[in-house]
Amino acid sequence: MTATQDFTPQIPNQAEEVEQLHRSWRHPRGVLGWLSYTTHQAIGTRYIITAFIMLLTGGAEALLMRTQLARPNNGFLSPDRYNEIFTTHGTTMMFLFAVPMMEGMAIYLVPLMCGTRNVAFPRLNAFGYWMFLFGVLFLYWGVFTNAAPDVGWFAYPPLSGPQFTPGKRTDYWAQMITFTEVSALCVATEIIATIFKMRAPGMSLNRMPLYVWSLLIQSFMVIFAMPAVVIASSYLLSDRTVATQFVNPAEGGDPILYQHVFWFFGHPEVYIIFIPALGFVSAIVVAHARREIFGYTAMVLAQIANGFIAFGLWVHHMFATGLPQIGEAYFTASSMMIAITSGVQIFCWLATLWTGRPRLTTALHFIYGFLVIFVVGGLTGVVLASVPLDWQVHDTYFVVAHFHYVLIGGALFPLFGAFYHWFPKITGRMMDEKIGRLNFWVLFIGFNLTFFPMHIQGLMGMPRRVYTYPAEMGWGPLNFIETIGAYIIGIGGILFIANVVSSHRSGRIAGNNPWDADSLEWATASPPENYNFEYLPVATSRYPLWVDRSERAFVTGLRNDRREALVTTLMDAEPHHRYVFPASSIWPFITAIAVTIGFAGSVFNPWYIVWGSVLSGLALVGWFWPRGDSEAES
Amino acid sequence: MTEFRTIDVSGLPSYDVSSQSPLWWGQLMITFIEGTMFGILIAAYFYTRLRMDVWPPPGDQYPHLLLPSLALVPLILSCAGSYWASESAKKNSRLGMIAGLLLNLVLAVIALAMRIVEWHSLNFNWKADIQGSYVWAFLGLHTFDYIADLVFTAVLLVLVLIGRYGPKQRLGVHVDSVVWYFLVLIWIPIYVTIYWAPVFAGSQQ
Amino acid sequence: MKRAAVPAFALSVLYGCAWHQQSALNPGGPQAAKIDTLWWSFFWLLGVIFIIVMTVLLLTLTGRRANMEREALEVTHKASPQTESQTRRIVTGATIITILILFVLIVASVGTGKAIADLGFKKNPLTIQVTGNQWWWEIQYINGDASQTLVTANEMHIPVGRPVQILGQSQDVIHSFWVPNLHGKRDLIPSRTTNEWIEADQPGAYRGQCAEFCGLQHAHMALWVIAEPEDRFDAWMRAQLQPAASPSTQETIRGQQVFLNNACVFCHQIRGTTAGGQNAPDLTHFGSRRGIAANTVPNTKGNLAGWIVDPQSMKPGNHMATIAVNSTDLQPLVDYLESLK
Repeated sequence: MTATQDFTPQIPNQAEEVEQLHRSWRHPRGVLGWLSYTTHQAIGTRYIITAFIMLLTGGAEALLMRTQLARPNNGFLSPDRYNEIFTTHGTTMMFLFAVPMMEGMAIYLVPLMCGTRNVAFPRLNAFGYWMFLFGVLFLYWGVFTNAAPDVGWFAYPPLSGPQFTPGKRTDYWAQMITFTEVSALCVATEIIATIFKMRAPGMSLNRMPLYVWSLLIQSFMVIFAMPAVVIASSYLLSDRTVATQFVNPAEGGDPILYQHVFWFFGHPEVYIIFIPALGFVSAIVVAHARREIFGYTAMVLAQIANGFIAFGLWVHHMFATGLPQIGEAYFTASSMMIAITSGVQIFCWLATLWTGRPRLTTALHFIYGFLVIFVVGGLTGVVLASVPLDWQVHDTYFVVAHFHYVLIGGALFPLFGAFYHWFPKITGRMMDEKIGRLNFWVLFIGFNLTFFPMHIQGLMGMPRRVYTYPAEMGWGPLNFIETIGAYIIGIGGILFIANVVSSHRSGRIAGNNPWDADSLEWATASPPENYNFEYLPVATSRYPLWVDRSERAFVTGLRNDRREALVTTLMDAEPHHRYVFPASSIWPFITAIAVTIGFAGSVFNPWYIVWGSVLSGLALVGWFWPRGDSEAES
Repeated sequence: MTEFRTIDVSGLPSYDVSSQSPLWWGQLMITFIEGTMFGILIAAYFYTRLRMDVWPPPGDQYPHLLLPSLALVPLILSCAGSYWASESAKKNSRLGMIAGLLLNLVLAVIALAMRIVEWHSLNFNWKADIQGSYVWAFLGLHTFDYIADLVFTAVLLVLVLIGRYGPKQRLGVHVDSVVWYFLVLIWIPIYVTIYWAPVFAGSQQ
Repeated sequence: MKRAAVPAFALSVLYGCAWHQQSALNPGGPQAAKIDTLWWSFFWLLGVIFIIVMTVLLLTLTGRRANMEREALEVTHKASPQTESQTRRIVTGATIITILILFVLIVASVGTGKAIADLGFKKNPLTIQVTGNQWWWEIQYINGDASQTLVTANEMHIPVGRPVQILGQSQDVIHSFWVPNLHGKRDLIPSRTTNEWIEADQPGAYRGQCAEFCGLQHAHMALWVIAEPEDRFDAWMRAQLQPAASPSTQETIRGQQVFLNNACVFCHQIRGTTAGGQNAPDLTHFGSRRGIAANTVPNTKGNLAGWIVDPQSMKPGNHMATIAVNSTDLQPLVDYLESLK
C-alpha cells in the first residue's frame, strides 16, 4: 500500500492549537444548544436521518399499494385511501426523501471533499434543515388528520383545483412543496458558494472530484428549476385560497400551462436526484477500482451537458396532450440526447473498472447493480422519448417501471453504495461486508422482480394510478409477482437497517482511510471533528491522497480561537482571504418557526402571509444583529 | 518534524468586501432564483395572452401609463444611492454609507408610494380574470421583495448610524446593493409587461 | 447466464401477451400497427445494446486485465499509456456508435409519427366527439344533419376500414382516451379540443380505458370500441338513431313509469320519453350496450339491479345518486332498461 495513512502533519505546539480549535468549534449544550447546531456534519446527518425515515415511510406506503394490487378486484384499500397513498408515496419519495437525502449527503461530504471546515453559510444551512423538517411534519400532519393529498404527485388541475378537490388536502400538498423548495434553494445556494469560494488551495476547477462537480451542476439546476415549481404550486394555492384564475379554464386559465411549468421543474428534478448519485458512482468507482477515473474531462463535460439538456425536454411528459408535430420532433431529439451524455459516463465507468483493479466490496456491488438497472432505465427512456411509442406507454405501468429503474436504479443503488462507502467516515466503523452483500442481492432481486414485469404489464394496457383492475384483463399474475418482489425489497431494507445498527455499535474501527481512497474527506479522522481538519489540506493533485507524501502541503496561520477557514479564488483556488464562520445560533430555528407560521397559516387564512412575514422579518433582524464577537476591524 | 510543505495564510485579511466573498455569490444565486421566477411568470403571461382573443379581458381598463412611468425615475436613481453606499462600504467610509443608504431608501420609498397610488387606477383585482391574476402576482411578488429589501436596507442604516458595524455589516451593505440593482432591473420587464403589453399586444376584436 | 436470460424471457412474455385484449402489441388498426412495428425495431436494437453493455460489464469482473501493468497501477493508480489510449479509442468508438444509433431511432420515430399523421387524411371520414366526464364517456357522432347526430355513452361502434376522427373534450377534469389496440392515447382537456385519428382494419371489440388520473374512480372508466363491417355499422347507426322503443309488456310499462317518476330523469335522457337529463349517460339504447357504469361490470339484469340499488358499493364515489327504489319497483325498472335495445 502507498503511504496514504497518517495524512496529518506534525507541527510545533500542535496540541495546543488543536485544543483551541476544539473549543471554538464545540457545540452549545442543552436542548436549545441542540437546536442551535450549525456544523455541516450535524446538519448533514440530520438531513440524512430524516430523509431515511421518509424513505421507510414511502416504502411502507408502496407496500400498502402493492398489497392492494396483488390480486384483481381487491378490497384491501378503498379507492380514496389508495389515491391518498399513491400521492403521498410519490410526494414523499420525490420531495421528502430523494432530494433532501442527496442534499444531506452533499452537506456532509462537500466541505470535507473541498478541504474546508463548514459550508459557506452555516446558519442558512441550519435554517434549510428546519424548513425541510417542518415541511415533513406539515404534510404528515395532513396525512394523519385524514387530509392526505389525493391528486397525484404532479397534481394536475382542474382535478386539483378548488372545484374538484375541495377541502385542504391539496393545499397541504402545495404548501409542503414551498417548504421543501425553500430548503432546497438554501442548500443549493450554500453548496455553490462553498464549491466556488472555499475549495482547498490548489483545487482548481479541473482538480475537483467528480462528486463535487456533480453537486455544483445539481445546485445550479436547483436554482433554475425550483422557481418553476414554486410558481406551479403557487398557481394552485392562490387559485384555491384567494380565488385567482391561473389554471381555471373557465376564466382563461390554462391547465396545460400548469403542466408546462410543472414539468419545466419536474424533468430537471429527476436529474437533480440522480446527478449527485452519478457523483457517488464516480467516487466509488475510483476508490474501489483503485485507479484514476478514465476520461475526467469527458465526464465533467457530459455532466454539464446533462444539466443543460435537462431543461430542454420537459415536453416529453406531455406528448399525449396533442402538440404540433415539429415540437414533437424537437423534443424527441433532445430527449434522446440524454442517452449520449449518460452513455459517455457509463462508458467511462466501464473503462475505469476494466482497466482498474476492482475490489468487489459491497459498495462496488451496488455500483454494478446500478449499472445493470440504470442501463435498462436509460433504454426504456429512449422508448419514451419516441412520440408514437410514448402515446402507447405514457401513463401506464411501463412508465412506472421506467422511472423506478431510473430513480431506484439510478439514485437509490448508488446511494446504498455511498452508505457502504462513507459509513466508515461518518461513524468511524466499518459496515459488515457479509450482510452487505446479502443486502445487495436481496435488494437487486427484489427490485427486478417488482419492476421488470411492470414493463410488460404496461404494454398489456394497464394504466398507472388505478386502485384495482378486473380479473379478465389478465394482469393478475404479473401484479402478484410484483407484490412478492416488493416485500423482498422490504426485507432488503430491514437487512440494511440491521447492518447499520450492529455496525454502528460493534463494527470494525475504520481508521482515517479504510478504502485507500483518493479524496480529501479521507484525510482526516473518522468521524471528523467539528472543524474537519486540524490544518486545512492543500490539493496538489486531482487525487490528493494518492500523491507522494513529499508532495503534500497544508495551510497554517488560520486563527483557531474562532471558526475560520480560507476563501480561495474561483478558477484556480488561490488563497484570497480568511473567512470567519458565524457561531452556533438559535436564530435559524426561530426564523424557521416564524416562516412556518406564515406558510402553514396561509393555507387557512391568507392574512397569515402578512403575519408570517412580519415575524420572519423580526427573526431575521435577530439573526443578523451583530453580536460583538469577532466583528472588530483589524 | 515538519516534513510537509505549508502555506502560511496568517497574513491574509480576515474579510473582503467584494465579489470574492462567498456571501456575494450567495446573493447572486438569490437573484438568479428570483430572476428565473419572474422570467417564467412573464413567459406565462404572454403564453396566456396568446390563447385569448380579447386582451385585456373584457371589463379590464387599460392601466394608466403616466404614474408608473414617472415612478421609474426615482427607482432608477435609487441605484445611485445603493452604488454610493456599496463603494463606501468597500472603502469603510461611514459617512458615505449613511448618505448612500439614506438616498437609496428615500428614493425607493417615493417610487413605492407612487406605485401604491397607481394601484387604485387598476379596475380589476386578482379574482376578476386571468390578467388580473397575473398583474397582481407581479405586483405582489415584486413589492414583497421590494419591501423586504427596504427593511434590510433600513436595518443596515441603523447599524451604521449607531456604530454597530464591522466588516460583516459592510459586506452586507455591498451585497445589499447587488439585490437592489436586481430588483430595479427586473422591474423594467415587469413594468413593460403590466403596463405596455395590453397596449402593444392587446386586441379588441 | 441470468442476465442474458432476461431479454429472452421478456420476449416470450411480450409475444405471449400480444394476443391479449387492450394490449398495445396486438394492433387492430394501422395506427397501432405502425407503433407496434416501431416498438419491435426499438426493442431489438436496444436489446442488442443492452446485451453488449452487460457483456462488457461482466468482462470487467474477469481476469481480462492480465496484459495491463498491474505494478504501475498500484503505485500510480493509473493505467499504462498504451492501455489508456487503447481504451480511449474504444470509448470514442462506442460514443460515436451511440450517436449513430440514436440518429437512426430518431428518424424511425419521427418517420412513424409522420406516417401516422398522414393516415388521417383519407376520404370519407367519420367524426366522433368523445367527452370525458367523471367517470364515463359521452360519445357523439357528429353529422352535418342534426337528425343524424347520435349521442351515446361508453361504447362506440365504428366501421372497419374507415378512418375515424376522435375529437376529444372534457366536461370536468383531464381524462385520456386510450384504446391500445387501435392507437396511443390522447388527452381530453377542458377548454380545448384534441384530435386523434383511429381506424380498425379488422372487426372486433377493442377495450379502452381512461389513462390520465381523473379522481376516485379513474380505475373504472372503460369504454368499448366495436369495429364492424360497414353494413352492420350502418344498421347499428339506424337503430341507435331511433327513439327508445315503447315498452310493450305490462312489466316494462310499469318500469318506464318508475323511471319517469323518479329522480333518474334529472340526469339521464331516454329519447322518445320525457326523460331529458343531460348530466349522465344517455340511456335511449341502454339495453344494447355491453357494460354498466362505464363498463365497470357487464350489462346483466343482476348487475343492473345491484347498481341501481346501491351504486356506491359497486363504484364508490361515483356521481350517480342513490335513489330509494322499493323492491317491487326494482324488477320492472330493470326489465324496462334492459328492453331498450
